[in-house]
Amino acid sequence: MDAVAGAGLTRVVHEVRELELGERTSYSAGRLTVGEQRARDLLEDPAFAEVRVACASPGDATRIVGVLDAIQPCSKGPGGGGVFPGLLGPALPVGRGETHVLRGAAVLAAGYLPRAQEAIIDMSGPAAPLSPLGATCNLVVEFTPAEDAAWEDVDAALRRGLVRVAAHLAEAALDAEPDAVEELPEPGSTANGKPRVAVVTNLQTQGKFKDVFVYGRSLSGGLPTVITPGELDDGAVVSGQYGHPALKNPTILHQTHPVAAALRANDELELAALVLCPEPVDQANKELISAHAARLCAGLGVDAAILSKEGGGNADADVTLKMDRLEEEGITAVGILAEMAGRDGTGPPLVVPPTKATAMVSTGNYDERMTLPACERALGRDRVALLDQPSTDELELPVAVIYCAQSTLGWGRLTCAETA
Amino acid sequence: MRIVHYVNQFFAGIGGEDSAGTGPELRDGALGPGRRLAAVLGDAHEIIATAICGDDYAAGHPEFAAELVEQARERGAEMVVAGPAFTSGRYGMACARIAAAASEAGLPALAAMHPDNPGLGEAAGTSVVESGLTARQMRDSLERFAAATLKIAAGEELTAQDGRIGPVARTNRRAERNAAERAVALVLTRLGGDGEATEIPLPDFDQVTPAAPIADAAEALIALVTEGGFVPAGNPDRLESARATKWVRHSLEGLDSAAAGSFESVHGGFSTQWANADPNRILPLDMARVLEREGAIGRLHGEYLGTTGNGTTVADARRFGMEWAAELRQANIQAVVLTAT
Repeated sequence: MDAVAGAGLTRVVHEVRELELGERTSYSAGRLTVGEQRARDLLEDPAFAEVRVACASPGDATRIVGVLDAIQPCSKGPGGGGVFPGLLGPALPVGRGETHVLRGAAVLAAGYLPRAQEAIIDMSGPAAPLSPLGATCNLVVEFTPAEDAAWEDVDAALRRGLVRVAAHLAEAALDAEPDAVEELPEPGSTANGKPRVAVVTNLQTQGKFKDVFVYGRSLSGGLPTVITPGELDDGAVVSGQYGHPALKNPTILHQTHPVAAALRANDELELAALVLCPEPVDQANKELISAHAARLCAGLGVDAAILSKEGGGNADADVTLKMDRLEEEGITAVGILAEMAGRDGTGPPLVVPPTKATAMVSTGNYDERMTLPACERALGRDRVALLDQPSTDELELPVAVIYCAQSTLGWGRLTCAETA
Repeated sequence: MRIVHYVNQFFAGIGGEDSAGTGPELRDGALGPGRRLAAVLGDAHEIIATAICGDDYAAGHPEFAAELVEQARERGAEMVVAGPAFTSGRYGMACARIAAAASEAGLPALAAMHPDNPGLGEAAGTSVVESGLTARQMRDSLERFAAATLKIAAGEELTAQDGRIGPVARTNRRAERNAAERAVALVLTRLGGDGEATEIPLPDFDQVTPAAPIADAAEALIALVTEGGFVPAGNPDRLESARATKWVRHSLEGLDSAAAGSFESVHGGFSTQWANADPNRILPLDMARVLEREGAIGRLHGEYLGTTGNGTTVADARRFGMEWAAELRQANIQAVVLTAT
């Protein structure tokens, strides 16, 4: 099972520190200028009556309401060169060669879609450090659906438009001097004696507006599958999941998978494999997928696994069942989970706890409330429907609405502990 | 200290389940277990009045607690104690709510119940001391209750040794490293032989014993209840689509079916397209009416109770359950159909 000699991905990193709209798209020394008309042309679709683009950068007194997906700009060459396979590039394996990324930038959509729970990003103030998108220069796409457009078509048009814009922006940096060049070897069967760790990443598969796409297809109905982390860098996984804002794993967090990054940075452990799993809605299939994922990990000869989920209470089971099955296979299982312990933090932290495994990392209590100060400008939606208040007001909300604040892909530092 | 003591209708000597709908009132002096409590407390403290409410009334009217605490303050109460409620759920919830309301009003407060009492979660951080399982353990329970009362009256904190029970609050904070790095570190700790290390302790869930089946459905009064986010069109109560903090009730009188356009689901956990095309899929009113006409069930209750079961906290869900149980018992319902989504 040796991979192609030297196979892996070279990540060519261009840092973005400033973002602005302009006549034409260009990148130079940390400044990304977005050709406004070009971006709108790339987003054009019969499902939209109108699309608008705006910039929201760290420190701005700006709140983005109704955030849907967010994507890191990346390109392998003119026209994208194969990134976002199945959506932009052909549905063929990616993850090798060179990929240019605009680190510190994101293209994100904000507005209304059915089933989308209201997600909020503050670009300054106490909530800003709770979202990974509070620290990126964001090109925000707002949209008005065409009168007769079906919501599914609006959703699909947004997804196609976002990846086109993301590839277009990164293309502007193809000839720029990189800030860093990172070599990402493919996980292989290297016998270096280090403990081998699998990264088990659950993708929500709960139907329209709550689905995640792998090579452009929903993983719903499938079995766990092995993928290289480099394929994620190249956009093989694109999110169309808009529930549970704090627990969301948008495309950008798959592209920059924090657990894969943490394992690569660790000298004592070997990143052995990345396993993608669907999150079925019914118990019997949750059990099947969990047992199957554990067998797959055993077959890959791993010593330990780190698991993550997407979604609310029932998705706890997709992590904890796998943790139990992995422990039965003799594999050390560590689950990254958010707590749902009520406003005062005295409730049971998990909906479905494991029965055999016990090693868990907490991304904080979803129900704890916080106050977001008033701000000057709102993008995405004018009102926060949850509170029926103008979006620029001071808002008292649970952490649960802060976009990716508790993502179990593990980017954040939020955790929870007993009050002393 | 001048203390007001809370008991339910049973321990006040008013009556059993038939009197559970009794409203809140304050009576002079100690009553029932309060008499022995007063004796154990000694001369430094006086139970000036007993606050009383029926268990069903208390479960269905959360505002009873603030009302009784206000009356207690008007009588000059300096402290409020409640119970012991043993394992009685509605009574425990009432004791916890009274203690929490007194704390909120700035009075020292204490409740007593068994650690398995489902009302414990309502104490909102107010002190609760352990009691026995049943009133057979009244003597020991009151001694511990009295000792804890003396401690709280003296302005001290209860400890586990005093019999303090109730969940410990967990609060958010920012860690040194991100969650992915902490997960990698935890892998190393576990592979290093530490079998215990974790950031999340395993929760304890209580087990509910199902009620016995009803003897004859053809004689029974049946209610429809649901957690499917089922509301009249337009959602007049603004029931939440997720993390519900309340429940709603609406009349089904004169309705033969839950017509599209009259009702809808606001549940945020699934696509409501098919529920809204035919709301009977969430609340099976159409079939219930057929069964009612055929005589397969005695009669259908005139209203439904509903909430949204999507990311709801256990504490809120437990409270809804106790409030629904009290409502349904008051309405003499023998069985419910609870549609879950």
